[in-house]
Amino acid sequence: MSLVAEAFVSQIAAAEPWPENATLYQQLKGEQILLSDNAASLAVQAFLQMCNLPIKVVCRANAEYMSPSGKVPFIHVGNQVVSELGPIVQFVKAKGHSLSDGLDEVQKAEMKAYMELVNNMLLTAELYLQWCDEATVGEITHARYGSPYPWPLNHILAYQKQWEVKRKMKAIGWGNKTLDQVLEDVDQCCQALSQRLGTQPYFFNKQPTELDALVFGHLYTILTTQLTNDELSEKVKNYSNLLAFCRRIEQHYFEDRGKGSLSIRLS
Amino acid sequence: MAAPMELFCWSGGWGLPSVDLDSLAVLTYARFTGAPLKVHKITNPWRSPSGTLPALRTSHGEVISVPHKIITHLRKEKYNADYDLSARQGADTLAFMSLLEEKLLPVLIHTFWVDSKNFVEVTRKWYAEALPFPLNFFLPGRMQRQHLERLQLLCGEHRPEDEEELEKELYQEALECLTLLAQRLGSHRFFFGDAPASLDAFVFSYLVLLLQAKLPSGKLQAHLRGLPNLCAYCTHILSLYFPWDGAEVPPPRQTPAGPETEEEPYGRRNQILSVLAGLAAMAGYALLSGIVSIQRAAPARTPDTRALGMAEEDEEE
Repeated sequence: MSLVAEAFVSQIAAAEPWPENATLYQQLKGEQILLSDNAASLAVQAFLQMCNLPIKVVCRANAEYMSPSGKVPFIHVGNQVVSELGPIVQFVKAKGHSLSDGLDEVQKAEMKAYMELVNNMLLTAELYLQWCDEATVGEITHARYGSPYPWPLNHILAYQKQWEVKRKMKAIGWGNKTLDQVLEDVDQCCQALSQRLGTQPYFFNKQPTELDALVFGHLYTILTTQLTNDELSEKVKNYSNLLAFCRRIEQHYFEDRGKGSLSIRLS
Repeated sequence: MAAPMELFCWSGGWGLPSVDLDSLAVLTYARFTGAPLKVHKITNPWRSPSGTLPALRTSHGEVISVPHKIITHLRKEKYNADYDLSARQGADTLAFMSLLEEKLLPVLIHTFWVDSKNFVEVTRKWYAEALPFPLNFFLPGRMQRQHLERLQLLCGEHRPEDEEELEKELYQEALECLTLLAQRLGSHRFFFGDAPASLDAFVFSYLVLLLQAKLPSGKLQAHLRGLPNLCAYCTHILSLYFPWDGAEVPPPRQTPAGPETEEEPYGRRNQILSVLAGLAAMAGYALLSGIVSIQRAAPARTPDTRALGMAEEDEEE
């Protein structure tokens, strides 16, 4: 968004309080949604829960195409549509709710850096596993991605998306990586997160921030999604403080508020 | 003892030891750790063992060309700049490098390779002058296409509709990233205390390229100049670790008037000579092809006077 449009939108956003009927759109939970999209959606849900803002989750098969930027999830609040965690955080901030106000400048810099780390390594690893690992692609991804569409559209869309993702991997230098190297990168990333978390309850001590929401979204999804092999979740399980962290957020923000079970089971 | 490690990288320009981001990062890391590398600064990427620059030929003859892998190899050979870092600082390194790659790299590519003014006046000019014949004709264009494609894939799919807005968004994020780096650095000499680490090598290479190259349209450069601690950080590392490379440029820069005024009288003389030569060539061609002919007026008069004289004689007789 240009600067003028952004300022305009912030003004409008600030003018109205958070409505009761805000909705979050994602793909179909049982049959369609993939690992990376589920992680992103869960991160946004966790963030909104932490801000104490009510949100209803609606599943649509064409959520990806409805979204203004092509990425899920996106939220529909009042008469505005915002997609992806970054813009959603800014939008919510314009409405007057923010989790990172109490941080000083250096901590804000670190928070942004760690969020980029998760996006750079964990998200890319998830995409790699879903679209570039032949076993997973054949057994899980193709079938799930194309499930709402009739033949031959399901195959065409799946191949198109796979080609796109492979191009992107090549551009950022992941095209030649093997699965083992990718898993090693995931391990490095988890190690960094675990060291940063240490023994604290949240990344910036007492209060959760958007970084906690993002990390929770990705790690929880990795831990609870069944893939062709368990290597990815094994890498995360090596770090006990990360497991405790996920459990804590799940209990505090999801179970206590009666949101019910979050996990999806892939067969 | 096996053969020493050899590093092939782009040569220097604009006051820097190297003009390429990756080469600069690897060189800086090597200087930080004091790794005994034989550095070949070349301008012909086809001469390097892997076809791209930078490239490291290890002591066992293996060739590595991905910058991160080069640094990992140096670490394995016990030239580790991150040895003294705590676990938490190591985690911070990873996080900040991701931040650099996501926020600053796209804009750097855009500034040097996509922005048309910068590309024509700075980047392409340097590469066209530095590359040997006949590579200088097609290689800069090919490199630009590769970078453009990389940028398109990095930035996502909404390019066709709002390129201007995407550019503004990119620059805004980059400005934020620079401010964040400045805040993280504070008043320390390096990011993690008093000794440089691998993060410093990467941050330095990104920042110094932006700072030193004379860009005609450099909004990011202007913003960076407004962050004094980052500028001091760059000049400090440049003077400490690359003193002779940095010193190559100041003499020509300090006396810009000298060479220019010397050229002037020669320039004027050359101009006059070339104009005269042009005129002479035109006149010679005109005479030789008969467009212009010179006739002598004097012999035409004497037959008249003789004729008059004869007429007078006739009249007399």
